[in-house]
Amino acid sequence: MSIFSRFRKKEKDSTPTMDKEVAIEVTDLVMEFKITKDKIDTLKEYVIRTLKRNKKEKQKIRILDGITFKVHKGERMGVLGFNGAGKSTLLRIISGIYEPTEGSVKINGKVAPLLAISAGFDKNYTGKNNIFLNGAYLSMEENYLKEKYDEIVEFSELGEFINYPVKNYSKGMQSKLGFSVATAIKPDILILDEVLGVGDIKFKRKSSAKIKSMMKDGVTVLLVSHSIGQIKKICDRCIWIEDGKIVMEGEAKEVCEAYVKSSKKK
Amino acid sequence: MFDTVAEKKFLLKQLVKKDLTAKYKDSVLGILWSFFNPLLIMLVFTAIFSMLFGRSIENYPVYFLSGRLIYDFYNSATKGAMRSIKRNASLLKKIYVPKYMFSVSAVCYEFVNFLISFVILFGVMLITGAKFHMTSIYAIIPIFLLVILIFGVGLILAVCNTYFSDVGYLYNVFTLILMYASALFYPIEIVPGTVQKIFSLNPIYSAITCFREAVVYGVVPNFNTLAYLAAFAFTVFFVGILLFNIYDKKLALEI
Repeated sequence: MSIFSRFRKKEKDSTPTMDKEVAIEVTDLVMEFKITKDKIDTLKEYVIRTLKRNKKEKQKIRILDGITFKVHKGERMGVLGFNGAGKSTLLRIISGIYEPTEGSVKINGKVAPLLAISAGFDKNYTGKNNIFLNGAYLSMEENYLKEKYDEIVEFSELGEFINYPVKNYSKGMQSKLGFSVATAIKPDILILDEVLGVGDIKFKRKSSAKIKSMMKDGVTVLLVSHSIGQIKKICDRCIWIEDGKIVMEGEAKEVCEAYVKSSKKK
Repeated sequence: MFDTVAEKKFLLKQLVKKDLTAKYKDSVLGILWSFFNPLLIMLVFTAIFSMLFGRSIENYPVYFLSGRLIYDFYNSATKGAMRSIKRNASLLKKIYVPKYMFSVSAVCYEFVNFLISFVILFGVMLITGAKFHMTSIYAIIPIFLLVILIFGVGLILAVCNTYFSDVGYLYNVFTLILMYASALFYPIEIVPGTVQKIFSLNPIYSAITCFREAVVYGVVPNFNTLAYLAAFAFTVFFVGILLFNIYDKKLALEI
């Protein structure tokens, strides 16, 4: 998002026209990706092609096509869909990574995207430094992180290893640390892409417990998952996306059943 | 996300710290490395050219070093900013972080290196018995304008480099030309008058001239040169911000 439009957006968010009870409001969301068979990625080629007038037509692919839904405060919304339906794109737009081609997303509150929990790690950095770096990426403030530091280390179960570079960590240790940092925020909205439960069985139990306790505090949840069981257990409402459109929206149980039925047909 | 200034400041601090530790942590000589490069180049240039230009330049090592430090800062900071978006592509695809933060942090990181390298200039001035002038304080003005210019150029290059991967090579050639047109190692008087006029349009040369006037010659920098540098720097700065704003949203799809 651009430097100026962020300010503008903030103003918009605080206007009283927005329903206070709504946490996420997605209206008529359209996302198009432009793809070409041979992408021009050098200036030389660009100039030559322009002179020769043989620029390949760009093909547009619609990943999302008019998605509209609302998530109210404290509600837990599940997102279902087969591979390539546009679920990840939707989450990326909601967390601000992509700008939608059309439509709008309004968000009311602090978002904690648990999408790529160990994406921001610097492998040569110690675990301790990475807590601060990752916290900064997740837009936490310095004093807040310092306050939470002991809690994060304790939760990550890394002990002495926190002073070692992350490149020496196992995959499990990395995701434990990533999870501990990402959940250190007190978010209003939690965005999950099947990260419930990372690490070994012990930590899995602990991390699910942590997410559950966050949910108890009235956090709004948006969960993308292929596990029907998980969605049935956690969510109260659910949307089912196929080919960038919402096929069904309603009670989690009903949508899950319909989804399972359709998967058997194919 | 990143609505308050404190959050952005903390991120900037962390990013600069990350780069600095990466540079200095595991090397035995640590911070001394950043002294070696300009010092060695200065020795080489002094050995070669001080015989040639020694008569017209009073203190050749200081003359050369004062220009070289400014040029090095411009060169590495703009190139750092240019690569900043692509370097962090995998991260930018996964979590939301304002993209310009990476460009800004690249410039800040090089600025810290630039400040560290002043130690060498100070040392060389001591050894060669150069005079220290009160007017050195005026050097802040051309340095500030240079930073503004670097931000502008850096933002423009960051956008271009994301779209076209060969912009980096072109820019390498450009900076080489810029170096020769900055009178780093020769007195400007040796080039013909018309060429001098063309060189005086080079903002890096303007910055170097003002810096030398304040630090080496002990005079207040020429107002016209400063004004030209300021106009150039701020124009590029605003063009950079404007361009970055237009393409900011599209960059995530290109990386």
